[in-house]
Amino acid sequence: MASDASLQLNRTSSNVPLVAVSLLVVLIAIGFMVNINVDNVMSTFEFEKRSEARVPAFMFRISLLIIALVAGFIAIINTGLYKKNKIAFSPWIFLSIGLVFFSIYVIIPIFQSISYSFTRWDGLYDVNGVWTGEWIGFHNYIVLWDDPKFWTSLWNNVLWLILFMLAVPIGLGLALFLNQTVRGIRIYKSLFFFPFVISQVVVGLIFAWAYNPDFGLVAEAWGFFFCEQSVNIVGNVTTKCSIDPPSILGDEDYATYGIIAAGLWPQIAYCMILYLTGLNNVAHDQIEAARLDNAKGWNMLRFVILPQLKPATFIAVVVTVIGALRSFDMVATMTQGGPFGSTNVLAYYMFDQAVGEGVGRYGYGSAIATVLFAIMLVYISYFLFRMYQDEKEGR
Amino acid sequence: MNSILKSGFAGLFATSLLSSAAMAGDLVINYDDLNPAPKAAFEAAVEAFKAANPDINVTVNNTDREAHKSAIRNFLTNDAPDITSWYPGNRMAPFVDAGLFEDISDLWASDANLSSKFNAIKPTMSRDGKQWGVPYSYYQWGVYYRKDIFDKLNIAEPKTWDELLAACGTLKDAGVTPFTIGTKFLWTAAGVFDYINLRTNGYEVHNALTAGEIKYTDDRIKATFANWAEKIDKCTPVKNHATMSWQDAIAPFANGDAAMYVMGNFSVSAYKDAGLTDEQIDFFQFPEITPGLARAEEAPADAFFIPANAKNKEDAKKFLAFIAQPDIQGEWNKTLGQLPPNSDASINTDDKFIVEGFETVSTAAGLAQFYDRDAPAAMAKAGMEGFQKFMLDPSKVDEILAELDKVQAEVYK
Repeated sequence: MASDASLQLNRTSSNVPLVAVSLLVVLIAIGFMVNINVDNVMSTFEFEKRSEARVPAFMFRISLLIIALVAGFIAIINTGLYKKNKIAFSPWIFLSIGLVFFSIYVIIPIFQSISYSFTRWDGLYDVNGVWTGEWIGFHNYIVLWDDPKFWTSLWNNVLWLILFMLAVPIGLGLALFLNQTVRGIRIYKSLFFFPFVISQVVVGLIFAWAYNPDFGLVAEAWGFFFCEQSVNIVGNVTTKCSIDPPSILGDEDYATYGIIAAGLWPQIAYCMILYLTGLNNVAHDQIEAARLDNAKGWNMLRFVILPQLKPATFIAVVVTVIGALRSFDMVATMTQGGPFGSTNVLAYYMFDQAVGEGVGRYGYGSAIATVLFAIMLVYISYFLFRMYQDEKEGR
Repeated sequence: MNSILKSGFAGLFATSLLSSAAMAGDLVINYDDLNPAPKAAFEAAVEAFKAANPDINVTVNNTDREAHKSAIRNFLTNDAPDITSWYPGNRMAPFVDAGLFEDISDLWASDANLSSKFNAIKPTMSRDGKQWGVPYSYYQWGVYYRKDIFDKLNIAEPKTWDELLAACGTLKDAGVTPFTIGTKFLWTAAGVFDYINLRTNGYEVHNALTAGEIKYTDDRIKATFANWAEKIDKCTPVKNHATMSWQDAIAPFANGDAAMYVMGNFSVSAYKDAGLTDEQIDFFQFPEITPGLARAEEAPADAFFIPANAKNKEDAKKFLAFIAQPDIQGEWNKTLGQLPPNSDASINTDDKFIVEGFETVSTAAGLAQFYDRDAPAAMAKAGMEGFQKFMLDPSKVDEILAELDKVQAEVYK
C-alpha cells in the first residue's frame, strides 16, 4: 500500500534537478541568442565584412533557438504541474513547433508588411545591411486614395469575385448533367475535369493565343465572316477585314472579362468535381420518397438535392472566392496588367509596384498589400466564424 | 530580422560558395544575358582575360536578364560578386545612392583608355561627379524601313517631319501601314516618345524631364504629345499593337504590310531571321522636327560595375580596365552586332547598320539612355503605361499627363 502511494506521488511530483538544469539551459541559450548578432560573429571569427558574417550568425541563432525549445520541453514535461494536467498541456506542446514557424513565416511578415506601408523604401539595404527607407506616416495611403490605378485594380477584384461565382452554378449544372450512368461516362467526366489539371499558366497562354486578333482562334472565326485575303504591295498574301476582329486583351473595356473567362474554365471543372462527389453521397431513399410524393424537376433539385449538397456548395464557394483572389497568375501570364494597367488586380498591382521590373516602391506596394489583407480579413473572419459554428453544432 | 532571415536562407545554399570564394585571386562575375550572341561575346572576353591573367581564377554566373534584375537587389548586400553587369543612367542611381556600387573614378582618371577614349559616354556613367562603371557595348536607335517598298513608291529617306508625314501619306495610299510597333511590354512606345521629345525639345529638356525637373504638363512636353498625335493620325501604327511584343510586330514588317519600325539595332538580326535581306531593309535617323535643334540620339549602354561588398576589388578593376581596351571592345561588339564605346575600337565595316549607327551616334550632340533607364523605374513604368494609353487613344492626353505629374511628384523625393 505504502509503496503504491509513494509511486503515485512520484509520478506527479517534479523532477526538480532536471527542471532546474533545463531552465538554466533555456536561459543561457536565450541569453546567447540575444547577444549573438552579426557584428559579434564578425569580430569573433574575424570575418572582414559584415555581410560575410550574416549566414553564420543566422545559423547560430537558429541552433540556439532549437536548443532553447528542446530544453524548454524537457523542463516543462518534468514539472509536477505538467504531470497533473497532461491532457490540457499536451496539445500545446505539439502545436508549439507549428506556432513558432507559423509566426515566423506568416504572422510576423504580416506585421512587417503593415509597418513597411508607412515608409518610403526602395527595397534596398546599404553596404552594412542597414535599412535605407524613411518613415512617412499615412502618406502612402493618401497617395493610394488618389491613384486611379488602385481603384481600377480594386474594381477588377470585385469583378473577379462576382463573375468567378458563375463557376459554382455552371459546375453544378455540368455535374447534374454528367451524373448519369451511360457507357463511358468516366471518360466524359475526365475530359470535363481536364482543364483543372492543366497549370494556370498554360491556361493563360492558350487563351491569350486564342484571343490574339492576328492569328488566334477568335480572329480565324471572325475572318471567316468579315475578312478576305488579298495581295499586298510586295506580292505577299495579306488579310483585309471589313470590320476588324476584336482585340480582346488589347482593349481596356474587354481585357479583364477575357481573363476572367479564361480563369473560369478550370474553375468550373473544379466546382463540377466537387458536386459530382457530393452527388454520390445524396441519399437514394430520400429521392425515392420524394418521387413517391410526386416531386420532380426543379422542385426535386431545389428542395431535395440541393440541401443535401450544402457541404459541397460551401466548399465550392470557398475555393472559388480563393480562386478569384488568387487571380494573380492569370493576369501575369495573359496581360501583365496591361493595357496600361487596366487589368491589374490588387495582388498584381502590389507585385508590380514593389518587385516587378525593378520599380521598387516597397512602401507603396506594402500599402496595397495591407488594403488587400484588410479585404481578405473580412472574408477569412466570416469563414472562420462559420467553421466555428459548425464545430459547435457538431459537438 | 527580415534581412537576417533572407540572407540565412540564401546562405544555406551559398555557404559552400562563400567559403571557396573568399580566397585571393578569385574573381566572381555576374552577367545577365543568356542569348547566344551576347553570351558568346562575353565568354570570349573572359577567356581573353584569363589568358592574360593566368593567376586569377574567374568564376562566371550567367543568368536571365529579368531574373538578374530582381536578384541584384539581394546579392549586392548579401552575397556580392566582384563584378556585376548593370545599366548606367538612372538605373544605377538607387544602388549608387545606397552605397552599393564602388566608386571607380580613380580608374577612369588613371586608365589610358577610360581617361581619353570614352568621352561621349562618360556623363552617362557618372553620378555626383564620380564614375561608377565601365561600358562594354551600346547600340543606336532609329527608323528601320523596307527599302524595297520605299523604292517601289519612290519615297526617299525622310529628313524632316513634313517629309516623314508625306511619306506616310504615300504609303497609306498604297495600302501599306506606315509604322509597325508592339506595345504589349510597353517599352517600345517609350522609344517613339523619346525620339519625338528629343526632336521637338532637344536633349536638355528631355533630360530635365526624366530627371524630374520639369512637369509632364509643361507646354514643351504637351507640344511633344501634339506632334505624336499628329504622327499617330498620319503615320498610323499597326492595329492591335497593344497585344504584340516587339518580335510579334516584326511579322507585318516582314510581310510587307508595314514599312517602318522605330527600334534599336538589336532588332536587325530578328528581321533577318524573319526572312528579310540587307537589300530589303535599311536605316535612317529619326527625322528633324524643330529645325536647327542639335541632334541627340538614343544609345543605351550596357556596363559592368564593382559592388561595394566585392571581395576582390583589385582584380575587378583589372578586369574593367581590360575590357575597356579597344581590341577587346572591338571583338566583343563584332560578335554582338553592336557599337563599342571605346572610340578607338574598330567596327565591323561589312555591316551597313553598324556603319550607319556608328556615324549616327558618334556625331550626336547628346546620348539618351532610353526612357526606362533615364527615368527612375517607378516613373518609367507609369510613364510607359501612359504612352501606351496615349497611343490607343490620343484624345486622353490631358488626363494622362496630369496622372504622370502625380506619379512624378511621388517618385522624385
